[in-house]
Amino acid sequence: MLDPHNLPDEIRDLPDAGFELAQTGEIKDEVFHTKPIGFYRDALQRLRKSKASMVSFWIIVIIILLALIVPNITGYTYMEQDTSKKNLPPKIPGLESLGIADGSQILTNRRRDSLDNPDRFPEGSVIRIVREYELSGVPVVDVMVDYYTFVGVDDDVYHWMGTDYLGRDLCTRLFQGTRVSLLIAFFAVLIRIVIGVIYGAIAGYYGGKVDFAMIHFAEVMDGLPYVVVTILFMILLGAGMFSIILAMTVTGWIGTSRLIRAQFYRFKGREYVLAARTLGVTDRKLIFRHILPNTIGPLITKAMIEIPGAIFSEAFLAYIGLGIKPPNPSIGILLSNGQSVLLQYPYQTLFPAVLISVLMVAFNLFANGLRDALDPTRRGED
Amino acid sequence: MADTPYLLEARNLCQHFASGRGGKRLTVKAVDDVSFGVRPAEIFGLVGESGCGKTTTGRTIIRLYDPTSGTVTFDGREISGGMTRGLRRYLTDNIAMIFQDPIESLNPRMTVEEIVGEGLTIRGVKDKAEVRRRVVEMLGKVGLTNEHATRYPHEFSGGQRQRIGIARAIITHPKMIIADEPVSALDVSVQAQVINLLNDLKEEMGLTILFIAHNLSVVKYFSDRIGVMYYGHLVEIARGDDLYAKPLHPYTRALLSAIPEPNPLTEKTRRRIDYDPERDHKEDYFSGNPVMTEIEPEHFVYCTPSELELYRDQVRGKADA
Repeated sequence: MLDPHNLPDEIRDLPDAGFELAQTGEIKDEVFHTKPIGFYRDALQRLRKSKASMVSFWIIVIIILLALIVPNITGYTYMEQDTSKKNLPPKIPGLESLGIADGSQILTNRRRDSLDNPDRFPEGSVIRIVREYELSGVPVVDVMVDYYTFVGVDDDVYHWMGTDYLGRDLCTRLFQGTRVSLLIAFFAVLIRIVIGVIYGAIAGYYGGKVDFAMIHFAEVMDGLPYVVVTILFMILLGAGMFSIILAMTVTGWIGTSRLIRAQFYRFKGREYVLAARTLGVTDRKLIFRHILPNTIGPLITKAMIEIPGAIFSEAFLAYIGLGIKPPNPSIGILLSNGQSVLLQYPYQTLFPAVLISVLMVAFNLFANGLRDALDPTRRGED
Repeated sequence: MADTPYLLEARNLCQHFASGRGGKRLTVKAVDDVSFGVRPAEIFGLVGESGCGKTTTGRTIIRLYDPTSGTVTFDGREISGGMTRGLRRYLTDNIAMIFQDPIESLNPRMTVEEIVGEGLTIRGVKDKAEVRRRVVEMLGKVGLTNEHATRYPHEFSGGQRQRIGIARAIITHPKMIIADEPVSALDVSVQAQVINLLNDLKEEMGLTILFIAHNLSVVKYFSDRIGVMYYGHLVEIARGDDLYAKPLHPYTRALLSAIPEPNPLTEKTRRRIDYDPERDHKEDYFSGNPVMTEIEPEHFVYCTPSELELYRDQVRGKADA
């Protein structure tokens, strides 16, 4: 037979014994000597390395713990009113000797001679005179007083963040309000995610006409003005946590559904999904076991980004008077109440404002860290 | 062997993809009028250049796509009709698929045990220990160890991953495997390993394999019969040796001329034949409908009656010489 490759004789005549099989017998692979690392453990390791997200994680934990504990240990309740103690400034045991949070308040435009009147200024209430001047020939003073003594409250009464216009303890109300705000945000985001995931998964997985109809319905829903919808819900269901959560979810799920739909389009044609289909895996299992776990990174990130958004929306609604029913506090209601007396009693706005800012910054930083940890290829994007 | 009935038979199989609507409607005939059969325990190689419809043919057979027209029968039962639960079950029980890309074809969020064992769990094997035992047994067959079962795909090399893909395909003991370019993404040293493994498994389990590839040397080594595809058409089917010794269709010749020679002396003088349908076929190849014709036993060519005469002469001429 003719040699198909026209090889020279010396190559053709090489003895077989000179050759050795590159691989003989069965293939046996070596055992790995490292520990198996799953997706979540890998992400956790990366998350731990990011300082900003660890700090913000602990800040969030501390705020949640404070919200759980503080309202129970202040000795006041969030709805307990006492008009004799209204608008008290902050007074914290231990710090009062340092001159901060000592319950002092500067009263302006007081007649000089009224200082000696024990009915107006009780014994020991005046700390010092800040400014003396004349107004229309009458000597007047700006005077710093111990406000607690001034209004005749016992010396051992402490309100760490002061009280509001109804004499309610603001510290209790702030952390009770944090509880409410976090609960509203958590449930609003949870419901959004659940609806969005199911809706987006169905639209993205089946595609075609189903997708077309579903995505256009979502477009229409998205066109509804948010504030109008909220007002309608408030009229229909009355003010309260439930109607706020509903109002925030009625159009809020659309963003999540878009995200999930896009992810399903990305993953449904992957070979491992096709491979599962050739094994006979059902649609439901393909959606929830094969495709959805791969979208979990963007999903968790989305949820973490939406929580501060939801807290802020709640605050915004409270601010425009669509908050939850009084006397229940929320951060938004405290801000809105504080804002009306901002110039006289700035501390009433200060504490909720600081808390909501810290909370939002912490959630955003943590969400960024989570995104980087769950999807390392997107590190540094914003 | 030649008169054994086909296990898998495709008749006039068409798979067209359409995009756009109305005037902008565009139809791509990815697979057009393809007919072939695969006998039990045979390896049928499907070759052709990129985009010629090899993969689509495989995917249409296993119903990842719904065929536009034509029929496919497996073991006498039609598997190209309307999809029912029963048909899906029959299809997935009997035919399995091995995919091209070893990275893409394993779910990164699942452990090897979950990936390989899935075929069992969806068939109602509830007992975790039983699944585990059979997964480990199957991993042993493809050269992996028991300890690898708890690992995630990203910890393995390309060849190992492809073997995991093979284990997943054969754990349900299918009669037939569609191997869609199983070695194209692997480096040459590992290609041999995977091919040999497939060969061993084929012997051991009596598998029938539809082997899709573009590497002609691999196909020649591995396949009993070979089908050559060009632009959605199957242009020639022959036993491996016949195809290499006496290619008839001009495209097959062009394809074979592209194989590099292992001998540097002859490689220098190797001439690449190029294929131009307009030039290499007579007028009636485009107007008259060419059909698959058996030109000698087990050797089919896609041709028109006038070309048939020409090919007959060539075959006779070869036989005389």
